[in-house]
Amino acid sequence: MSALSSDGLDGLTNGPLEEAFKRLKRSVWVFHLNTGSCNGCDIEVLDVLTPYFDVERFGIKLVGSPRHADLILLTGPVTIKTLSKVIKAIKAMPRPRLILALGSCAVGGGIWFNTYSTLGGYPKLEEVLKKVGVEVDKVVYVPGCPVRPEAIIYGAAVLLGLLQPKVTHRRMVAVEG
Amino acid sequence: MVKFLRMLAISAREGTATRKYPFESSLVTPEFRGRVDIDPAKCVGCGACVRICPPSALTLNYESDEVVLKYFIGRCIFCGMCAYVCPQDAITITKEFELATPELNDLYDEVVHTAVKCNVCGKPFTTVKLVKEVEKRIDGGDMSPLFNTCPECRRKLTARRVGSGVTGVSVE
Repeated sequence: MSALSSDGLDGLTNGPLEEAFKRLKRSVWVFHLNTGSCNGCDIEVLDVLTPYFDVERFGIKLVGSPRHADLILLTGPVTIKTLSKVIKAIKAMPRPRLILALGSCAVGGGIWFNTYSTLGGYPKLEEVLKKVGVEVDKVVYVPGCPVRPEAIIYGAAVLLGLLQPKVTHRRMVAVEG
Repeated sequence: MVKFLRMLAISAREGTATRKYPFESSLVTPEFRGRVDIDPAKCVGCGACVRICPPSALTLNYESDEVVLKYFIGRCIFCGMCAYVCPQDAITITKEFELATPELNDLYDEVVHTAVKCNVCGKPFTTVKLVKEVEKRIDGGDMSPLFNTCPECRRKLTARRVGSGVTGVSVE
């Protein structure tokens, strides 16, 4: 479970990428990528950037181009229409590429998980990215419909290794009675 | 310059607007709905929540010896309908929203039930706890010989019984 270790990326060991990731912890520049979401999560992302939640106190700053960004805030279930543009935007990011999949749609497809016009969330997009040879260094899934601004801040902290994730896989046996 | 001084006076009066979120509690209202929690002691595996769930975040998987109620938080839209329909009050809505994780598998909750196999075709079709619960609620009755028969086989058996009752010819 190297992805859960407090410092360092999954699959990144002693190299220029790891060095870059260490520097990143002080300030992450984010690019907001809507892949066909309903705008609920987008409004929450906006909320995070306002002085009320003010993520700039953690050094997180919104930039207008994926070429300047370290982290993509991905919202929406990745519709077929946006797929080519999404791949282009992720490809344009410099390494290490980090992605925060925000909202139920980006994590598991939401209510559009099996429709004809969407891919169904980031896990499906990851398969497409592998096929076209675009590597993504770390992904953190942030469920919520829409995600709370606090959940986005928490997700960013988990991504940077500042906090440990709280949820774990639970398999409970129903007690016969 | 005068405008700036006026702003200073306002900001001194109003104070800081920024929330100190990771260092203080979040703004969770009493109506807030977070992830749902399934009580394995109360759940009977009836599947009412599975039928009502709009994004199919809750699913019942029939395996050879067990029936698994799976809850995928990553698809849940936090509508709370499952808690509303649950006849056993096994599902409660919690206030948890800090669900971020790098592992997709962390977002699955499973409740494992023992399966009841159909005594005609041998297919698992319901849970032991549900059969017990139904037995308790209807208090015996003439349904009891068909308790361990799956709906399809039960339909065939009933049709045969009615058919032989009407025509007087036993059908095998």
